[in-house]
Amino acid sequence: MAEDILLGDDFLRQLMSVGEVDLLVAIPTYNNASTVVQAVQAIEDSYQQNFVRDRVVILNVDGGSIDHTTEAILNMNGRKAGVHRGITSLRTVHRVTTQYARSPSQGMALRTVLAAADLLRARSCAIVSPSTTNLDPSWVANLLRPAYRQDFAFVAPLYSRTRFQGLLARNLLYPMSRAVFGLRIREMYSEEWGFSGRLASECLSQNSWGAEAVRTRPEAWMAVSAICSGMKCCQSFLGPKAPPPRTGPDLVEAIRQTVGNLFWCFETFQDHWMDRTGTEAVPTFGSDHELTPEDAPSRQEKMLELFRSGVKDLDTVLSSILSADTYKQISEIAALEPDKFHFGSEPWVRTLYEFAASYHRTVIARDHILQALVPLYRGQLYSFLLEHANSTPEEIEADSEALCLEFERQKPYLIERWKAKAEVKR
Amino acid sequence: MKDTIVQGLQQAYLNLFHMIAEFLPRLVVMLVIILSGLLVAYALKYVVRAVLRLTKLDRLSEEAGASRVLRMAALPSMTEVLSRSVFWITLLGFILVGISILNIAGLQEQISRLLRLLPEIVVAMLILFLGLVIANFLSRAALLAAVNAGYASPKMLSWSIRFGIWILAIAMALDELGVARQTVIAAFSIVFGAFMLGLAIAFGLGGQGLARAFLERSLGEKKEDKTDELQPL
Repeated sequence: MAEDILLGDDFLRQLMSVGEVDLLVAIPTYNNASTVVQAVQAIEDSYQQNFVRDRVVILNVDGGSIDHTTEAILNMNGRKAGVHRGITSLRTVHRVTTQYARSPSQGMALRTVLAAADLLRARSCAIVSPSTTNLDPSWVANLLRPAYRQDFAFVAPLYSRTRFQGLLARNLLYPMSRAVFGLRIREMYSEEWGFSGRLASECLSQNSWGAEAVRTRPEAWMAVSAICSGMKCCQSFLGPKAPPPRTGPDLVEAIRQTVGNLFWCFETFQDHWMDRTGTEAVPTFGSDHELTPEDAPSRQEKMLELFRSGVKDLDTVLSSILSADTYKQISEIAALEPDKFHFGSEPWVRTLYEFAASYHRTVIARDHILQALVPLYRGQLYSFLLEHANSTPEEIEADSEALCLEFERQKPYLIERWKAKAEVKR
Repeated sequence: MKDTIVQGLQQAYLNLFHMIAEFLPRLVVMLVIILSGLLVAYALKYVVRAVLRLTKLDRLSEEAGASRVLRMAALPSMTEVLSRSVFWITLLGFILVGISILNIAGLQEQISRLLRLLPEIVVAMLILFLGLVIANFLSRAALLAAVNAGYASPKMLSWSIRFGIWILAIAMALDELGVARQTVIAAFSIVFGAFMLGLAIAFGLGGQGLARAFLERSLGEKKEDKTDELQPL
């Protein structure tokens, strides 16, 4: 069993002293001493306010912090009785910490959490980020409840966002994953999510842990595993998404991680989506989405410049990934005047599907395919910002829905390009 | 007179007969060796092909860009190229051994030289091919990184890397063959040194501003990059 490899003696001893639990909230850390105490406090508050009678544990998995993150958690004082108007947990809120590796790895951290959840027979689990500065006790409860009370396997978060926040998810990850896998889950790539003990055991038994895509972004793989296993998924509204810290991945790294993971999931789970048509809404707890107004970013010309130079300089790379027609169309878009610039949804969707198929066929090194997408995304982003500088949140939402429908309309084209490899082989 | 002619003819006939009697068995042996070589070469070809398919070499070759190079040269897949190479090298080896059995004066020496040179030719070809593949992969990686970072002249950077690796591979291949070894090493040192000096002078004199900006970016305080100010996730 995986526990033998993953769980050290001291960690096992801690888990055995906890015994079985109902709820587990894990907090993967790496040099988060400055913010982790606040996050752990929010988890404890959530337990004390919402799960008074339940057996609970807080699990910290650390990736080799050198700023005493683990000590900060262990030295925290417990919440004094009476703070919540007399409401406090009837059970001990256990805190367990372990160092899973000497360098951070999202996949390794999750695998350790799943092994612990499996051993403790946790019924519902959640992962929260230590760097989320506005983590609220209600967030933890909203992530835990659907799997605990209603038998959902995967609980995706929903956030209130500003108009121009999370545009990679809005213009690529969400519509593409929705069209391919057939479920309307908005936030598959997030630092917070919930899952059932059953899904934890299911994922733990899979042998995908060595894949780069799982090592870097395991959350989406977990969601897709749930979808393809026929388990129930839902979304739970948490609240406003605080701006991520500057240490977050830059655009190139974000695309390599998330889009690379998405394309890898397409390939790994291809038997499950090839014949699937249409999309289904998933049960949503709380608001479906919230967009708040915000001024458009001031400096966008650089984006257009990078798109144009990318299309020009990467001609040989893009020609090997895209069809001749699509590349020609993109070259024409790059030649448009800045004020007339428009990267429409039809070429954008076709471009992405051709990238996915080329990734599948490995026409060049896969990492190079993902990097070649960056300038094209910048072009699409420039077009989006230009068009929606003065749009209301409702208009942006309507436009996003239209993009999703375009992805669904062109799905047969993806399948056609995807299958091209098998035909050549025969 | 007549007897002498008859004796001469008889002697010539006997000599021819002896020659044929000596040559024919050797020819048969040579044919047997070549035929065996053909069978062994076919067997090796299929074994190598099966092993390479098991190791998914074609996929690795695609990822490294080697397959693209092969396609540009109108060659089949990497597995096919290697298995066919094994076939021809094996067959050629058997043919040379077979021919040496014929014991034809002068040919023996040439065959020995060719046999001695054969491994070096194969290694030199391998070096050239690997150089081509590595140059292709690294130049593309540099091109993508430079384009995404917004550097000026990414194609020049990419070509510089490709050119540098080509020079290195050609020099190594010629050195392996022992062709004008001293000249090749001297020429390589001169060309490579001149290339690097040229770059240094060009960067130092022509690109002072660029150099300053680069050093400030690398060593100075990090300024926020407004290009990606919109957080993607």
